[in-house]
Amino acid sequence: MRTHRVAAVPIMTHPGIELIGKTVRDAVTDGQVHFQAVKKLSEVYPSAACTTIMDLTVEAEAFGAPVNMPENEIPTVYGRLVGDADGVASLQVPDLTAGRVPQYLLANRLCAQAITDRPVFGGCIGPFSLAGRLYDMSEIMMAIYIEPDTISLLLDKCTRFIMQYCQAIKEAGSAGVVMAEPAAGLLSDEDSVLFSTKYVKRVVEAVQDDSFTVILHNCGNTGHCTRSMVESGARALHFGNRADMPRIIAEVPDYVVVMGNIDPVGVFKQADSQEVGLRTSELLRQMSGHSNFVVSSGCDLPPLVPESNIKAFFQAVDEFNEQV
Amino acid sequence: MSEILEKLFECVEFGKINAASPYPPQLRGQDGASEYTQKALAEGFSPAEIMDTALIPAMTKVGQKFSENKIFVPQMLLSAKAMNAALVYIKPYFSSGEIRRKGTFIMGTVNGDLHDIGKNLVCMMVEGAGWDVIDLGVDVGPEKFVESVRQHPDAYVGLSALLTTTMPNMKTIIDAVRAVSPSTRFIVGGAPVSADFAASIGADAYADNPQQDVEALDRFLQERA
Ligand code: B12
Repeated sequence: MRTHRVAAVPIMTHPGIELIGKTVRDAVTDGQVHFQAVKKLSEVYPSAACTTIMDLTVEAEAFGAPVNMPENEIPTVYGRLVGDADGVASLQVPDLTAGRVPQYLLANRLCAQAITDRPVFGGCIGPFSLAGRLYDMSEIMMAIYIEPDTISLLLDKCTRFIMQYCQAIKEAGSAGVVMAEPAAGLLSDEDSVLFSTKYVKRVVEAVQDDSFTVILHNCGNTGHCTRSMVESGARALHFGNRADMPRIIAEVPDYVVVMGNIDPVGVFKQADSQEVGLRTSELLRQMSGHSNFVVSSGCDLPPLVPESNIKAFFQAVDEFNEQV
Repeated sequence: MSEILEKLFECVEFGKINAASPYPPQLRGQDGASEYTQKALAEGFSPAEIMDTALIPAMTKVGQKFSENKIFVPQMLLSAKAMNAALVYIKPYFSSGEIRRKGTFIMGTVNGDLHDIGKNLVCMMVEGAGWDVIDLGVDVGPEKFVESVRQHPDAYVGLSALLTTTMPNMKTIIDAVRAVSPSTRFIVGGAPVSADFAASIGADAYADNPQQDVEALDRFLQERA
């Protein structure tokens, strides 16, 4: 006999954008459309919480990075915005009127007002991943060692912006924020503490309280840098599909929520609904001893995931919870 | 091995680029790969000897440590950078014919895909193993590959994709290149790519790390010979 129900919170917005018949470009540029997509999802699926779009380009664009916005794909940053100490020194920390930030804040506000039966989480990028997008990801990997002062200034600027942005997401009424920090997963645990956690922690300390939770997502962690994620102080940690969840949860204190990790592409998008159900049930079974586990996708669901697969996921959760 | 080549090996293994670089802490203030290469040449070591006894074996060791999760992406990139700092002084001998290069390797991340860390690592390792590398960058479509193969008809081609949605572009590229150059051989890689997928699109090899890539290239060479 199980003693607790498991909450299900897949990270998704693309299925909602598709349900309301809009394009990705519409949703990432217009806070109204963005809101309608999230609202629609909340009406169709029994998620324990909603999330806004995981768009890892909004913050970089605010700093001035050029962004590509295809009609039906996730936007991407291209090129390199800063490449040396002078560039970093003269880089301005943008305010919240830059780029598409106002539209994202609008979406957060509308969601928080209209979706009252469950919490809504905003989204942002993590400081190391943002710095990597501005400086070039391969270059920053080396620069952390050979240009430590430049990179610490860049990380500081990124952190100041993310802090402001999270504060505004909080003021918009969201229950928290999913912070995506995938690039930190390419570092060793020690380096992840030095170049990511230290900065994530500043954001957590500034915004997290009883009404606002930081969910730290790192899909680059294959199991080698969990300690660095725990040290951030985030009240919830979210893992990608390459993480072995039973092993991971053993490294996380039980007052921290552990979320994950059904493969968003290999399973949600490409498998059939029977397989989605089986994988979900299997994960739930493996994690059944842990009351701090929330079942989720390993990352944001991409465009064009079949509805039947999302239903199969929730059905597997229902069946599991019926045994409580 | 002579002391100077041992030092050079150490610099590449631990990513000590030059005297000014503060990394790694245990070699701070000492000469790096750049200085030791110049010294070795000045003392009369042949470029080939420097490559074969210091640079290439050091990169092989680095590749091994990476595949065993003993070092991570930053350490590997720094080793490759140290290797490149050494190659600055060795490269003039490539063109003079004093060192034989193994061949040319063209590499790019396929169109639609901007992930380049894996590609960069592979390029650096392959270059370190004695190949000329042409890095076409990210988001590279069939036309650019075709153009590059036209210029280097004997080259082998590497394709990287990290997104399930961009994997099919590998096939488009292979087909486009083979239409003009049927004998060109391809190695494909990237986290979501598998040996089965590679075979299904007509690639000649699949490798899941730079070390295996170098081995596959060497195998191609033997087959050609
Ligand atoms: C870092 C990262 C990013 C960075 C990329 C920075 C950069 N300049 O490369 C950023 C944040 C920008 C990013 C963006 C996105 N990403 Co990303 N990203 C990652 C992450 C965390 C690590 C990838 C990496 O660099 N690994 C380290 C290198 C060394 O490994 P590697 O690339 O696999 O290469 C090795 C081998 O595969 C091999 N290899 C690679 N290529 C080749 C080629 C040849 C010829 C050979 C022989 C070998 C070889 O050698 C390498 C060394 O061993 C992965 C998660 C993961 N754990 O893989 C997700 C991941 C790849 N990303 C993903 C996604 C979905 C995205 C986005 C769409 C997210 C979004 N919502 O915006 C965008 C897409 C942008 C685009 N159009 O390309 C998904 C892909 C899912 C899928 N299967 O399709 C992953 C798997 C995350 C996940 N779990 O969902 N990402």
